[in-house]
Amino acid sequence: MEQHEKDTLLKLHIDQKVEKAKSVIREAIGKFGIKKIAIAMTGGKDSTANLSIFKQVCDEMKVNLPVCIFIDEGDVFDEIREFVDYIKHLWSLEIVYLKNTDVLSQVTNIGDAIPVNFLNEINQAALREIDFSESLLTFLPDSTVCNHLMKTIPLREFITSNHIHAVSTAIRWDEQTARKDEDFFSERTDPFHTRIHPILHFRERDIWIAIFKYDIPFNSLYKLGYRSLGARCATSKLSDIPAWMQDLENTAERVGRGQEKEQIMGQLRALGYM
Amino acid sequence: MRAHSSTQQSPKTSDKKVVIIGLDGVPYSLLKHYTELKAMPHLHEIVSAGNLLPMNSSLPEVSSVAWTSFMTGKNPAEHGVFGFMEIDRNTYEYIFPNFLSLKAQTFWEVLGLPTVAVNIPQTYPAKPFNGIMVSGFVAIDFQKAVYPKRVYEYLKSIDYRLDVQSELALKDPEAFFKSMFYTFEKRTEALKHIYRNDEWRIFIGTITETDRLHHFFFDSARGGKYHDVFIRFYQMLDDFLWEMFQASQKDNALFLTCSDHGFTTIQTEVYANRYLIEQGMLTLSGKNDLCGITSDSYAFCLDPARIYIHLKDRYARGRVDIGEYNSLREKIKYLFESLRYEGKRTVQKVYFKEDIFSGGYFDDAPDLYILAEPGFDMKSSVKKESIFGHSHFRGAHTYHDAHLFISDDVTGDITSDLTIEKIAPIVTKYLST
Repeated sequence: MEQHEKDTLLKLHIDQKVEKAKSVIREAIGKFGIKKIAIAMTGGKDSTANLSIFKQVCDEMKVNLPVCIFIDEGDVFDEIREFVDYIKHLWSLEIVYLKNTDVLSQVTNIGDAIPVNFLNEINQAALREIDFSESLLTFLPDSTVCNHLMKTIPLREFITSNHIHAVSTAIRWDEQTARKDEDFFSERTDPFHTRIHPILHFRERDIWIAIFKYDIPFNSLYKLGYRSLGARCATSKLSDIPAWMQDLENTAERVGRGQEKEQIMGQLRALGYM
Repeated sequence: MRAHSSTQQSPKTSDKKVVIIGLDGVPYSLLKHYTELKAMPHLHEIVSAGNLLPMNSSLPEVSSVAWTSFMTGKNPAEHGVFGFMEIDRNTYEYIFPNFLSLKAQTFWEVLGLPTVAVNIPQTYPAKPFNGIMVSGFVAIDFQKAVYPKRVYEYLKSIDYRLDVQSELALKDPEAFFKSMFYTFEKRTEALKHIYRNDEWRIFIGTITETDRLHHFFFDSARGGKYHDVFIRFYQMLDDFLWEMFQASQKDNALFLTCSDHGFTTIQTEVYANRYLIEQGMLTLSGKNDLCGITSDSYAFCLDPARIYIHLKDRYARGRVDIGEYNSLREKIKYLFESLRYEGKRTVQKVYFKEDIFSGGYFDDAPDLYILAEPGFDMKSSVKKESIFGHSHFRGAHTYHDAHLFISDDVTGDITSDLTIEKIAPIVTKYLST
């Protein structure tokens, strides 16, 4: 997409942004059909907003919502589990919970190390795929290696065995630079499927405007000051002010997510501290 | 005591050099044992050219505190490092002090002499200074652990390792030993290379593989299942010390080795927070860590045996009024002094903070410090269901029985009651007179 098209989309009024998102969703449903689509939900503000718009479209079209998937990366905030449960009942969702049980069965703490040869062949192959050649895997949810094992692998398995053709996620252009070249429909390989990104053109501020304007439920953690939610160990807050009252335009959304602290704890635990 | 060489001239102040090899967790008594056994023949010879002394650690007797006292010559209330972790007084989340949070200057910064400082614990991240620094435990990011960058490039090229993969010890001892020998080989290769190729007046290289081996296998130090590994490792260490000693003698440098604490075989682990819970001093809600400290709690412990009184005006959920502070400390002191395991005392001495700490950061010091009897390994873990327990750890730190070797008679009159804090003044005096 050309930059000027993006700029136009980014400048739209919130109602127009929602209209654009709805048209992306309608196009997706027309193209793939409800049964071939899955919607990723994380319990975060973006995925909840995305899901809420999806629901509106499905209600208008008088069709069921596609299946939702929740990926447990091994260190989920209690508040996220509770919130997902709440939404599930509120909107009568069908949720499939995905996780990498082989890895999870071998760790008790964040920072624990697993000898790679203790993992099953699927996971060992997954590590080779990303050129991971160490003999020990440190369990750090939200790290690149663990994201591959804990998120990509279970998702891949789900897509293949359920013959899913498209997965909707709630990424946004303004979240991080890696996402600025994404389109509303992006193709993925291994396995082949399409990603649907209905709220790509929302800014962080728009999400909060939509949440309050359309009365979309949101996780209580945001009220405590968290701006962006990931694995519990990799998420922190830099302010005690509710997320929507922070200086969203001039401070980074994802700065509260880091891993050095967990790595320190892992090394200390290995020597018997903590 | 013998002078190290009658033929050598004392160097001029402006040329004086010091070489210090840190041996993390190596007890005086074990070195004595190995030299007598001839397991360390070179050390036997080195020691005959100087003075091997028993030394006390710092309180707390953990590497982060002891090495910081070594580097600064100060007590924890002056340098601000009381342990590997602190707790946030509002959120009760862990905070990890690092080299940037150090409140005092290192002796080499004070002297302003070009210095090499490799693998000293609690020196992460490396800061730019007049010399070379390779951070020691806990070091996370390799690049941030090395100054300057050219040294990082060199270390990467030889596959230098920041630390042994300690996580292997439980599941796969052989793989752990392999990692230990490899890390040691790379560490010593790097030390020898930097020694030869760089300009320095103070050279400090610390070996931490010793501490790792001791934590998991100290019951094999004097015999037992893995004794051959100990002997093999200590012989390699002996060869390395000999090379460094000879090089230092050629350079007319003062040669020292020292450890930061001693080691002994664990009799039992002692979970101080569990004891506080059972005594009604500590209650935790929900989450199984110190984040769950409730407003009903009087005190808690941070590793290894730092007891903090849960004061109202210090902690967000504090409950103790300052008026109750002293009687509460007396009570906790009594509780720990009377804690017995199979009829044996577990605690050697309970200190109040004013007994052992003084300095500008006195307020941050633990309110009590428990020095356990050797072999009773105090831990702060809150996940335990009884006060005593066993795990895969076989070695426990000791306050006594660290060591100091100096190749020349420069300790003056401070050889009695020698602690790790005294090394910096000895070296500073040597280099500046």
